[in-house]
Amino acid sequence: MAEVCHSITRRRLVQALGSGLLLSGLGVPALAASKELTIISDLDTPQYLVFRELAETFGQQSGISVTVNNLAHEANKTAIGNYLVADPPDICFWFSGQRMRQFVKLGLFSDISTLVERENYASVLGPLLDAVTVDGRQYGLPLGGLFWGLYYRADIFAQHGLTPPETFDDFYRTCNSAKAAGLIPVSMGTREQWPAAGWFDHLDLRINGLDRHMALMRGEMAYTDTALDAVFEQWAQMIHDDLFLHNGTSYGWQQAASFLGQGKAAMMDLGNFITTALSPEAVEQLRLIRFPMYDSAIGPFEDFATNSVHIPKRAQHPELAREFLAYFYQPEVLSRFVGALSGVPPRSDMSVGDDPLARTATQLLRNTQGTSQYFDRDTPPQMAEAGLKGFQQFTVYPDREAAIRQQLERVRQRAYAS
Amino acid sequence: MHSLLHRHRGWLWPTLFLAPGVILFWVVIVASSAESLRISFFQWDGLGDMSWVGVDNYIALFHDPQFYTSLKNNIIWLVLFMAAPPLGLAIALLVNQQLRGLRLVKTLFFMPLVMSQVAVGVVFTWFYDPANGLLALVFRAMNATAPALLSDPQWVTVAVVIAGLWPQVSFCMILFMAGLNNLDDSQIEAARVDGARGFRMLYHVVLPQLRQVNFIAIAITVIGALRSFDMVSVMTGGGPFGSSSVLAYQMYEESIQSYRFGYGAAIAAVLFVIMALFIAWYLYRMLRIERGTA
Repeated sequence: MAEVCHSITRRRLVQALGSGLLLSGLGVPALAASKELTIISDLDTPQYLVFRELAETFGQQSGISVTVNNLAHEANKTAIGNYLVADPPDICFWFSGQRMRQFVKLGLFSDISTLVERENYASVLGPLLDAVTVDGRQYGLPLGGLFWGLYYRADIFAQHGLTPPETFDDFYRTCNSAKAAGLIPVSMGTREQWPAAGWFDHLDLRINGLDRHMALMRGEMAYTDTALDAVFEQWAQMIHDDLFLHNGTSYGWQQAASFLGQGKAAMMDLGNFITTALSPEAVEQLRLIRFPMYDSAIGPFEDFATNSVHIPKRAQHPELAREFLAYFYQPEVLSRFVGALSGVPPRSDMSVGDDPLARTATQLLRNTQGTSQYFDRDTPPQMAEAGLKGFQQFTVYPDREAAIRQQLERVRQRAYAS
Repeated sequence: MHSLLHRHRGWLWPTLFLAPGVILFWVVIVASSAESLRISFFQWDGLGDMSWVGVDNYIALFHDPQFYTSLKNNIIWLVLFMAAPPLGLAIALLVNQQLRGLRLVKTLFFMPLVMSQVAVGVVFTWFYDPANGLLALVFRAMNATAPALLSDPQWVTVAVVIAGLWPQVSFCMILFMAGLNNLDDSQIEAARVDGARGFRMLYHVVLPQLRQVNFIAIAITVIGALRSFDMVSVMTGGGPFGSSSVLAYQMYEESIQSYRFGYGAAIAAVLFVIMALFIAWYLYRMLRIERGTA
């Protein structure tokens, strides 16, 4: 230790600091003349590891030095507004749909229609292309989708003689049997608020259908509209019947998922990333079904959230970025990326792989008649924030329904005004 | 040249040495505050164009139930945080003795201050976990059900403040320990000769000498309570449904999450006014102490 301290003299420290400054200040423009590509990602670890490897391979093949800065998912949400304006990378990850449109409107994402046309992505993406299209032009490429549905453990269901529910009646029946067997019927942790909004989405899509749900998302329908009465009524009934995890607001979604993983809870409404919170043994038993049907004439419609990859408008190397996207979006390459998280493949010419959950999700998606993204991706940020908070409150105090809906209505009138 | 420097040294050197601090203060504190105040009169999503709305943000703020919840929570923070200086003093007195092993105890009390606030928050979140937390285990041992403190709108703020108090108490303890080391031994000896013991000694001899430390401990605790953000963010995210939010957190939530920078700036302005009151009081007392008229 003494030796180490001895060797760090003041002179050396100054030298180190100086060269550090040089590297950070002067070095970057000098290096930028050679080929360099910066990417900011927001991936979970398993997917990040695959992505980094793909980026390295691309770097070796093309002689470009690729830097991937991976942020935490939530951190990226708060940082993106800043870095798109101040210090944009060449490629960033974001969400399709309304959330993308917001940045397109502000002129922060590049138009990549020529790339889409050159590579003929339209033919393999089908309706998914709409999620990244504004006024007929594309501003991103959709990545693996998150299919939202009910997850359960096959062994736990078999052990307690439970049957996967197909209709609302089935659902209540299964939940009551689960309760009788000493299980929590539905595990939902709302500390991060959004899981409650997913439940709302599912109820509204089942009871009111996609058109009316999207009208609500676009701000064209009031939260006090009587069409929503049935949604809140059903939800209140479920809360009243004690179907959800107690003290749900205390738990994050991962903790809530662990109740499912440990066999203490019967079902959970989530996307495919649930696998990251469970042990491999639990994942092996995990099964996915669609949210139960309310009226067989309505739907099925589902929440299918697509993340996407974009080129910021002020990217330093937009041409290299396009080159990278063309490489990354090849079916074999993209399969490895999407497969890392059991995602639903965006391209129709990609194999789904062997992952049973991804296969189920893909199958369910083929049977749907239409999809929405997710409450906090379909609505403007202000509305999303208020909605998530309101739904979380509803899970605890269903009797405050009127006040909550009035508050949401006030926010709706403000949020869509601008 | 030399004589020129010599002639002007009366103002040149002080100016030169003060410049970095003064410039930083004006750019980072004063100019940013003014800019923030300006933003509070606009409607702005943080990215696009700004549009002038006058005092609309403030009017909306005073009609926002969340604002009053946050304000109420800030007051709860202030009141409960006042427990930090006396607790810190008590612990400082306890460990300020020449006994074997007290050095270890001192270190243990010092620990939370070394840990990052975020780590403290996470540890307390686990502690409060109603299924597997330490609190739940204690309650279970007594055959009772633990309350889910972090999902109870009534108690959540108190639970978060307790987590915040932990490092704050040890901070006050350090201040008082430093103060106790600087006590005038001759006064204590004299008091002892006069027969002062225990509480009377503490109240009439020790405490008056600690007045300055006491004042600093209280002022820093007040400011710590008002700028509380990290604990709320880590432990509850302002939840459940905003019931543990404080002004600083609400400001963050509105600006960063909801892209309402004008509204967030209005909250910042209100928080600034509240803080300014305390800082004014602090400066006033400080000056009086320095002039020896306190």
